[in-house]
Amino acid sequence: MTPDEHATAAVGAHAPATARSLTLEHVSVTYPGGTRALRDISLSIAPGEMVSVVGLSGSGKSTLIRTINGLVPATSGRVLVGEQVVGGLSGRGLRELRGGIGMIFQGFNLAERTSVLSNVRVGRFAHSPTWRTLLGIASTEDTRIITEALDSVGMLERAWSRAGALSGGQKQRVAIARALAQQPSVMLADEPVASLDPPTAHSVMGDLLRINQERGLTVLVNLHLMDLARQYTTRMIGLRDGELVFDGPAAGATDTDFETIYGRSIQRRDVLGSAS
Amino acid sequence: MTVATCLPAIGGVELELGAITRNWRNGAAKLQQLAQPNLAFFPRTLTPMLETLAMAVVGAVTAAILSIPVTLWAARASNPSALGRQAVRFVVNVVRAVPDLVYATILVAMIGVGTLPGVVTLILFDIGVVVKLVSEAIDSADHPYIEAGRAAGGTQSQINRRTVLPQSWPFFANQWLYSLELNVRISAILGIVGAGGIGRLLDERRAFYTYEDVSLIILEILVVVVLIELLSQQARRRLR
Amino acid sequence: MSAGSPSPSQLAADASPPSTGPAPVLPPTPSRAGPTVAAVLLGAVVLVSVAGLDIAWGSLGEIPVRVVTYLELLFSAPNWEKLPRALFETWRSVSMAWLGAIGCVALSIPLGILAARGVGPAWLRTLLRGAFAVIRAVPEVVIALILLTVTGLTPFTGALALGIAGIGTHGKWVYETIESVQEGASEAVRASGGTTAEVARWALWPAAAPALMSFALYRFEINIRTSAVLGLIGAGGIGTMLSNYTNYREWDTVGMLLIVVVVITMLIDLVSGGIRRRIMEGARARGVDRTS
Repeated sequence: MTPDEHATAAVGAHAPATARSLTLEHVSVTYPGGTRALRDISLSIAPGEMVSVVGLSGSGKSTLIRTINGLVPATSGRVLVGEQVVGGLSGRGLRELRGGIGMIFQGFNLAERTSVLSNVRVGRFAHSPTWRTLLGIASTEDTRIITEALDSVGMLERAWSRAGALSGGQKQRVAIARALAQQPSVMLADEPVASLDPPTAHSVMGDLLRINQERGLTVLVNLHLMDLARQYTTRMIGLRDGELVFDGPAAGATDTDFETIYGRSIQRRDVLGSAS
Repeated sequence: MTVATCLPAIGGVELELGAITRNWRNGAAKLQQLAQPNLAFFPRTLTPMLETLAMAVVGAVTAAILSIPVTLWAARASNPSALGRQAVRFVVNVVRAVPDLVYATILVAMIGVGTLPGVVTLILFDIGVVVKLVSEAIDSADHPYIEAGRAAGGTQSQINRRTVLPQSWPFFANQWLYSLELNVRISAILGIVGAGGIGRLLDERRAFYTYEDVSLIILEILVVVVLIELLSQQARRRLR
Repeated sequence: MSAGSPSPSQLAADASPPSTGPAPVLPPTPSRAGPTVAAVLLGAVVLVSVAGLDIAWGSLGEIPVRVVTYLELLFSAPNWEKLPRALFETWRSVSMAWLGAIGCVALSIPLGILAARGVGPAWLRTLLRGAFAVIRAVPEVVIALILLTVTGLTPFTGALALGIAGIGTHGKWVYETIESVQEGASEAVRASGGTTAEVARWALWPAAAPALMSFALYRFEINIRTSAVLGLIGAGGIGTMLSNYTNYREWDTVGMLLIVVVVITMLIDLVSGGIRRRIMEGARARGVDRTS
């Protein structure tokens, strides 16, 4: 197989979904307790972009990312994924939208007592009829997609292991496989490396970057470490107290920009350090 | 309050300490009989004892199967609807408020003497215990994977079936075993009201004042209960 | 991009190599022989049990109809005329439960403390724990049946049976509680040079009291149900009334009695459960809860 043929085959095995754009128009979120998590955010992300959202904890990063798949509804304003308005959806429509958006979490959010394979099957929920899930019968197509997803993060050999028995980095890889099994057009990552040691953090960020490049997915990743944002993403969005305070090329962000985002001078804990 | 409960005039309990001394001789003789179990009676106890065990097993297994959906319905993690949850919990609390032998008495009157009312009693009792304890255990645990399931576009029933259920399996297994232990103890006495098992024989022998036989039956119940407890302890260790 | 750091595409290539070769396959399913054997055994036990039940399966279909008929008889028009009598009998049952709980707690606390590690001699501990286990295994009804040879069939027998039957579980809770508070609390006082009595008064008691109080209330809740059961075999109270009216087939009265039992039991659960929660929360607030 020539390299070209291989590339075509690989893309064929991956995603039928094409990357979609993300648009936020004057989005505000106020929680029932009265906390204003987001204030009038407007931004637009092109298909296939790799964007980081940077800010201190409590700055609204997690809320921002959750408005995109409707886990947190916008109190006012509009969120669009491609041409689709998120706010108007509920029930089946919302589940279908979510089915096309992968998400990974700081705490991995795996069902630790079940196998790696079972966890990755969660990614097929929106794409298979409920009765199939309830009976536990995966279609051959689902199995192929799950196998491919596990293989692409190097976790295929551990398919039958208990998720709870894995290391942190391995757990996050399984979580990525779970998201990839959705064959998503957008990938959301909420502080994906905050619970990992530096070398593992770099390899997980590398995985995300590879997904972005190989599959052409739109990737939106929350980070609180400035060097990771600079190194792995092309564009950076800075949030401070729920307001957009920075939007520009990640590589070009200066230390002064970070001081604006953090509202204080740069400290040691804002940097992860190198992989080695 | 303690004083009030001792006034027979308003329905309290009369403390008949005198009766103990008066009947002590009579009682002592019977206790002496109890101390000498009649081993020759053993063959006659075998069939009812097996029936008791069969009732306990069938009751526990049926209740285990029925408890799965009801528990998922009653737990916050698996049922986001507060109204539905409260409705199920209320019904379960009502079911739990009726004592086991009361069910048996009424059911025997409804569907006739036999093992069936006994088994139904055990099922009702077990569902009450399992649903309450397991749904509370599920509620006190963390379920981060539910957000992941929801983010992947899963329905609540998909999330429950593939993640909440396998994740809560140890809670279930623990309570199922516990309900089996309780069943052996309860089914031993259900026969007193006609709901099958060794209780019938126990009551009959007591009515004939053959306390040596009663003693043997009690001894057997004791042994069987302890054996089942040991067995379920083993099973628990395996499941961990 | 700052000098020296690699470009995103280089990083991606470093992270892990893209898959090559034929389509990936899942590793073979691991052997599930153990669970399968266990499941087959369990299935066999269940089948044998079902076969041994001697149930007329053919008539099972009629049962729903009968149940509905009887539920209608019971609850369509409960006979409220006998409510005063029912409440009187309920009070007798509650009295039985209360006295039984007090008797049980009064006996269990000293016995349980003696059975705790590091209190009494080893032989006594073994003996007491053995006795607790035996009592736990015997149903309350059987204990009442033994007792009535001495005291006759009265509410007093019921209270006595509840008191004795409860020792089995209650004694166990007591020694488990004592053992779990011993480790933490007593070290602190002993470190500051306290005597054994001071340890008991100032370390063990405040740590164990909330749990023991809460257990005592829980015992009362359990006894409410059991006292009705003891009534069914003739110990008096609401259970006896229920049993009589079931024998008379006066379904409207039985229905009323069931409603009374359920409402009273749920009310007592609610109140007692609320108090228990407050006791335990108070204990946690003072930082002495080591039992959970």
